[in-house]
Amino acid sequence: MNWYEIWAELWPTLIAIGIILAVVPVVGLYATFVERKLAAAVQDRLGPNRVGPFGLFQAIADGIKIFLKEQIIPSHVHTFIYMLAPCISLMTAMFALAVLPYGPTPVNYFGGLRFIVMPGLDISLLIMFAISSLSAYGIILGGWASNNKYSLYGAIRSCAQFISYEIPMGLSVIGVILVAGSMNIETIVASQGSGDGISGWNLWWQPLALIIFFTSALAETNRLPFDLPECEQELVGGFHTEYGGIKFVLFFLAEYTHVVTVSFLTTLLFFGGWHFPGVPSEVTASYGILALQMLVLLVKVCGVVCFIMLLRWALPRFRFDQLMGLAWKGLIPLAMLNLVFLAVFESLGWHRWPLAVLSVLLFVAAGYWSAWQSQSFVRKASVT
Amino acid sequence: MHGLQAMSYLPILLYLIAVIGFAAVSLILPHLVAPRKPTTIKGMPYESGMDPVGDTRKPLDVKFYLIAILFLVFDIELLFLYPWAVALNNPEGIPAEYRIPVLWVLLVLLATLGLAYIVAVKKGIFEWRRK
Repeated sequence: MNWYEIWAELWPTLIAIGIILAVVPVVGLYATFVERKLAAAVQDRLGPNRVGPFGLFQAIADGIKIFLKEQIIPSHVHTFIYMLAPCISLMTAMFALAVLPYGPTPVNYFGGLRFIVMPGLDISLLIMFAISSLSAYGIILGGWASNNKYSLYGAIRSCAQFISYEIPMGLSVIGVILVAGSMNIETIVASQGSGDGISGWNLWWQPLALIIFFTSALAETNRLPFDLPECEQELVGGFHTEYGGIKFVLFFLAEYTHVVTVSFLTTLLFFGGWHFPGVPSEVTASYGILALQMLVLLVKVCGVVCFIMLLRWALPRFRFDQLMGLAWKGLIPLAMLNLVFLAVFESLGWHRWPLAVLSVLLFVAAGYWSAWQSQSFVRKASVT
Repeated sequence: MHGLQAMSYLPILLYLIAVIGFAAVSLILPHLVAPRKPTTIKGMPYESGMDPVGDTRKPLDVKFYLIAILFLVFDIELLFLYPWAVALNNPEGIPAEYRIPVLWVLLVLLATLGLAYIVAVKKGIFEWRRK
């Protein structure tokens, strides 16, 4: 491999990296803006509307203000780890984007053009899980180094929540891996393409896996209804009580990057990525078709992001024992039963459509069982 | 060959360096620009306006430790399942005549996991509220 070949390999990578580094802060700033607007719409308010047309420059004003604030380092913290923690949080959140395709990359890479930093990696889904679970370090180091009781309890809760929801998340994607016969996210998306563009989506024959995956992914992003690590009424700010200025922003940039990553993963694994009725499903060298496919993917991702933001105002927060109970008593047994059905059906080569029926039945049965459980709990409590 | 394989992971290394640089610059730059007026009150831990009592380095509930151990058990079993999931429908993966024996192995693996789960439930690891 001579220098010319290395350079030919290098510049498309540098362009892809540049795109991500430019887009992530903008997306982070405007995600807060969209969230405030959506919250205002839900609560019948106007939301930010003073800075620029429709309040569009509010995000930029916030960014400048935070950049110029006094950066307080409290006297009781472990300074090095205290400074390192937001860095780790942001790094892991952004590093997971390396294996995330934001568009279909043709086989010849368009003479260099590509829509993913690391194309053709066979273990990209595994790397995604490995990296995103590292972000627990950012939170627990931040909580520990803050030397504040609220921070410490928030961090410990967050760590327990993280590792608990990691398991159902990993179990639920096994079905997706099975169909594609690969852990490469690009191959998984390609395997969901079909003639009409919609019947090949993994959603249709693994609805239960989608529900489990989305719930656990939501818990991993630390957002409502799973935001126990930072619930204001109990723990002030949780792990970021002692953080202000840019360090607080790095934590929140990491959180919004997580939301975007999770939305991308849900779309790519279950909602068919860039496949849609009327859009050509094969990856061609035509710029128009590529742009159309990217548009389809981005619209789907935006839909999932808005759904996550609206969910915040639709559901109350879990109590901590309910949160751990949902992971260990609800999602993990369900995911394992789903996996047993999956293994039997796939190994015997049976049709896949009964799996969809079975997973819906499992979901309904679990709902009835938990309702019966809570009723008997209420009965016992009322007797004593 | 080894050199070539290592080369194909170059984008990830470059991206890692870029991300570390991005995080470091965006952390350090505001610290150089911003005004600094540290006072004693600003340096205190925020515990809802009360003066902090005692130290933070305290023992925690042993439940968190048990959850961490259980996580290891489940996560390692999960890692054994991934190669099976990749190989089952792959044309270069498991041959058709081995599918049923592999299914039995898998079911035994899941049964041991289920057994461990039942033991954990009976031990009351998932009960967070004291009766």
